[in-house]
Amino acid sequence: MKIPSLFLSALMALAAPLHAQSLPGDSVYHLHAATQDADGQPFPWSSLRGQARLVSMFYTNCHLMCPLIIENAKSVQNQLAPAERKQLGVVMISLDPARDTPAAMRDVAKRHRVPEGWQFLTPADNDVRAIASVLDVRYRFRQDGSINHTSVLVLLDSDGRIRARSEVTGAAADPAFLIQVKALLAGP
Amino acid sequence: MKRTLPSTVTLLLAMASALAVAGDAGSGYRYVEGGDFRSSVRFEEATRVVRLASFSLMEKPVSNRDFSVFLARQPQWRRDRIPAVFASPGYLGHWTSADMPGDNVDHDAPVVHVNWYAADAYCRAQGARLPRFVEWEYAAAADATRRDARSDAAWRMRQVNDGTPHAIDAAPGSPANAYGIRGLHGAQWEWSEDVASLLGDGDRRGQQDGEALRYCGATAMSFNDPGDYGVVKRFVLLSALQPAATLGNLGFRCARSTP
Repeated sequence: MKIPSLFLSALMALAAPLHAQSLPGDSVYHLHAATQDADGQPFPWSSLRGQARLVSMFYTNCHLMCPLIIENAKSVQNQLAPAERKQLGVVMISLDPARDTPAAMRDVAKRHRVPEGWQFLTPADNDVRAIASVLDVRYRFRQDGSINHTSVLVLLDSDGRIRARSEVTGAAADPAFLIQVKALLAGP
Repeated sequence: MKRTLPSTVTLLLAMASALAVAGDAGSGYRYVEGGDFRSSVRFEEATRVVRLASFSLMEKPVSNRDFSVFLARQPQWRRDRIPAVFASPGYLGHWTSADMPGDNVDHDAPVVHVNWYAADAYCRAQGARLPRFVEWEYAAAADATRRDARSDAAWRMRQVNDGTPHAIDAAPGSPANAYGIRGLHGAQWEWSEDVASLLGDGDRRGQQDGEALRYCGATAMSFNDPGDYGVVKRFVLLSALQPAATLGNLGFRCARSTP
């Protein structure tokens, strides 16, 4: 009993630094940020690693651009082949943790009939800035509680490198961005 | 034995927090009483007067020495280890080595060539945060005797030198302001927590119309008081920076909210 557990911990001790080292320098997953998923479970930012992701930042109390962001992401997903769709996770991240509770996030997912498998994450209060910064999302709370923010879909590869971005200006996917998404998913 | 352990732990914890408080006074945070404030920066929808909660701010910017102590504790922020996602090539480039400022740098001088991520991490390690832009503006409205000296045109005129060696607080012996804080109008600029919120004209200048949609409810900002040179210069500079950027005259200090 003792030997296997020693062996295991030795393995883990070896594996941990190897794992950290293999993360490319320009990966957004170097950031140590805490989030909560729509079930209220802790979800470390870096655990998004391992799959290509389509990521965007929004807030639930937003009625102009945010529905467009969701529709645009759906449109990207709809134009993928079923096999491609399985490879690409869609992640919506809140800019407004004070109001975007897991329940509010579940509600918005339901209201917009988002497909199965989308992740809705609410960052810890003091981690929103840093996540927005690595994704190059700028935002500012207005006095009425609405938020000015960059409306963008960011394409991350499975190691968290930013591979493409698409400024959202309507509900339809940008064809040039779609080509970049498909190229990444077809990649080596 | 097991029973006494928790109380010992509690005692130790209490001692540690007492020490932390003492250390806090040593590292020099100064209390800034909040109030209603007419910021010189105005976004299109905002009222002219904002209400600020009380906070505390470091008496001085973080020095090269302070930052090398931090690097010893969190070596992942050394210039030879920092991941590229957080850094630009100039990061701490003026230091002799990756962990020490070296002989060519004044150890007591404010650390510069630091990016927003490293500044943010330093303040978190202190149980603090970077100050918001308006908090800096509020504290920096004070001169040595007045909490709001902005009606003094001559004093304000001298702020055109902020961020240069001719700045009001650039000389080492410059007096503290009315809050006991030094160097807010110094030879260095300082990061703010909300630098990515400073959506100024710089973000829209020369853009095509479509760019207006880049921001949800496209923003417009202006200055309530374009003659507030220190604030205008600082805003324009910070709003143009990416968080990974570094400058030879850009450092930081930390702030704490008042519980």
